[in-house]
Amino acid sequence: MIECMNVYKRYPTGTNALYDINVKVEQGEFIYIIGPTGSGKSTLIKLLDGEEKATKGKVKVVGIDVGTLRHSQIPIYRRNIGVVFQDFRLLPTKTVFENISYALEVINMKKKMIRIRVNEIMDIVGLSDKGDAFPAELSGGQQQRVAIARAIANRPKVLIADEPTGNLDPGKSDEIMDLLERINEAYGTTILMVTHDLTLVNKHRKRTVVLEQGHIVADLAEGGYVRHDQ
Amino acid sequence: MISRALKEGFSGVGRHWAMSISSAIAVAITLTIISLFLIFTTHLQTFTKNVESSMEIAVLVDFDYESSEEEKRIEDSIKAIEGVKKVSFSTKEQEFNYYIEQYDDEETRAVFEPFRDDNPMHDAFYVEAVSGDQIRSVAEQIHAIEGVSDVNYGGQSTIDMVAAMINIRRFGGIFVLALSVLAIFLIQNTIKLTIYARQDEIDIMRNVGATNGFIRAPFVWEGIITGVLGSILPILLTIYGYKFAYNLVHGVMFSSMFKMIAPVPYIYYVSAVLLAIGILVGLIGSWMSVTRYLRETK
Ligand SMILES: Nc1ncnc2c1ncn2[C@@H]1O[C@H](COP(=O)(O)OP(=O)(O)OP(=O)(O)O)[C@@H](O)[C@H]1O
Ligand SMILES: [Mg+2]
Repeated sequence: MIECMNVYKRYPTGTNALYDINVKVEQGEFIYIIGPTGSGKSTLIKLLDGEEKATKGKVKVVGIDVGTLRHSQIPIYRRNIGVVFQDFRLLPTKTVFENISYALEVINMKKKMIRIRVNEIMDIVGLSDKGDAFPAELSGGQQQRVAIARAIANRPKVLIADEPTGNLDPGKSDEIMDLLERINEAYGTTILMVTHDLTLVNKHRKRTVVLEQGHIVADLAEGGYVRHDQ
Repeated sequence: MISRALKEGFSGVGRHWAMSISSAIAVAITLTIISLFLIFTTHLQTFTKNVESSMEIAVLVDFDYESSEEEKRIEDSIKAIEGVKKVSFSTKEQEFNYYIEQYDDEETRAVFEPFRDDNPMHDAFYVEAVSGDQIRSVAEQIHAIEGVSDVNYGGQSTIDMVAAMINIRRFGGIFVLALSVLAIFLIQNTIKLTIYARQDEIDIMRNVGATNGFIRAPFVWEGIITGVLGSILPILLTIYGYKFAYNLVHGVMFSSMFKMIAPVPYIYYVSAVLLAIGILVGLIGSWMSVTRYLRETK
């Protein structure tokens, strides 16, 4: 589903963010990317969703060689993946329902179909009663649920999330984790999640890839992680 | 699909109405100037045509070359010259009659009658050139033909005037183009501001898989709407202003050669051109603006 082969990323500023990254994620897997700040986690996410191109090596997602896509093809490619960010990125002037339906409108889904799908997904993320609310009227955890709902609205095979719990307190983080696990199980969605939160990683154990200064220093199939320097 | 973009285009104009109005006004001013120039140049064109068509070259045949073979040869030579549109022949008798008919009173005519048998007129060819600025060179080439005794045409001042008008026409075209570019620039700036106001939205749209075309459409409609708004006033000014001017001078200016074009359907053509320029300017301006922004968006 996701495959990085000898991937290097060097920003135009001269910063080397990733060195020789090799990761393979199978369909239906749930995997964490962890590492200290500046270790290249977000850079990896950007290579996966087409925001940045690898300097060297190959990035393949759902069979598509992301690095070779033209600017105009990127949006089409993104219909295959859902992306969730730490800062939610909801449209403040649109309601919860509209924020989710938006992702389906842009791919020209029929209005009737959209209504059914959005209601179904609001139910999954536990926001059935918040359809008419605006993002500002929701808690951080609820906003992130909306963002997740939007990301999975067109049933992508892959969901990538950059610190989805970064702005949430531990209780809310746990709820988001439960939700992601349910999505992973119910739809077989491959999930790649970047996080800082070691408590979370140790509690919900999954395959864990550890980045440090742009290098993969560990790939723990059984999950759980204790920082070396602690 | 189109209805969504159109609706959002309208709400875009509504959201930034102050900005939209100001750029619509800028477009209106530009289009008004363009309208004046269009009216000016189309009139110049018809005027030039009138002058040009009234300009003929009179070619007088030498008395020694009046045989039909020689005249046939001269006519063929004239027709072979580049820039010649039409050649007609008039015998010396016709010329004589034509000359006499210039005089209204019988007495004067009678004075000339005795000369009919000893006709002082030449056989003549009348030559029309394709365009006014070719008259001189055509005339010179005709003069060089064997058997041509003299060549007359409207004179240098007329030719200079025609040449000047052709230049003004050309300059008018460039001026209209330059003004259109200016209007495009103005609209582009307005749309740029509305884009920056909606930057987050555009980024999110791309994130969730909206194609560039899908993102562009509402902004392009916004530009088109602004262009249409901007063309309303110039169109009204053109229609009512021109009708007013036409009625004021009864359609004639300076001389009978310079007639105003009848208002209907002329003003509607001009209006259509203004509307088209308004739409095009709005379309191009907004298109360029969004495309530039999208190129920077990851
Ligand atoms: N657009 C950019 N241009 C230049 N350098 C960048 C850019 N984005 C990131 N970097 C650099 O690349 C390195 C990795 O950054 P990245 O954002 O991937 O780290 P991260 O692991 O996500 O950190 P954090 O945990 O703080 O989010 C850093 O040194 C950063 O300064
Ligand atoms: Mg990061």
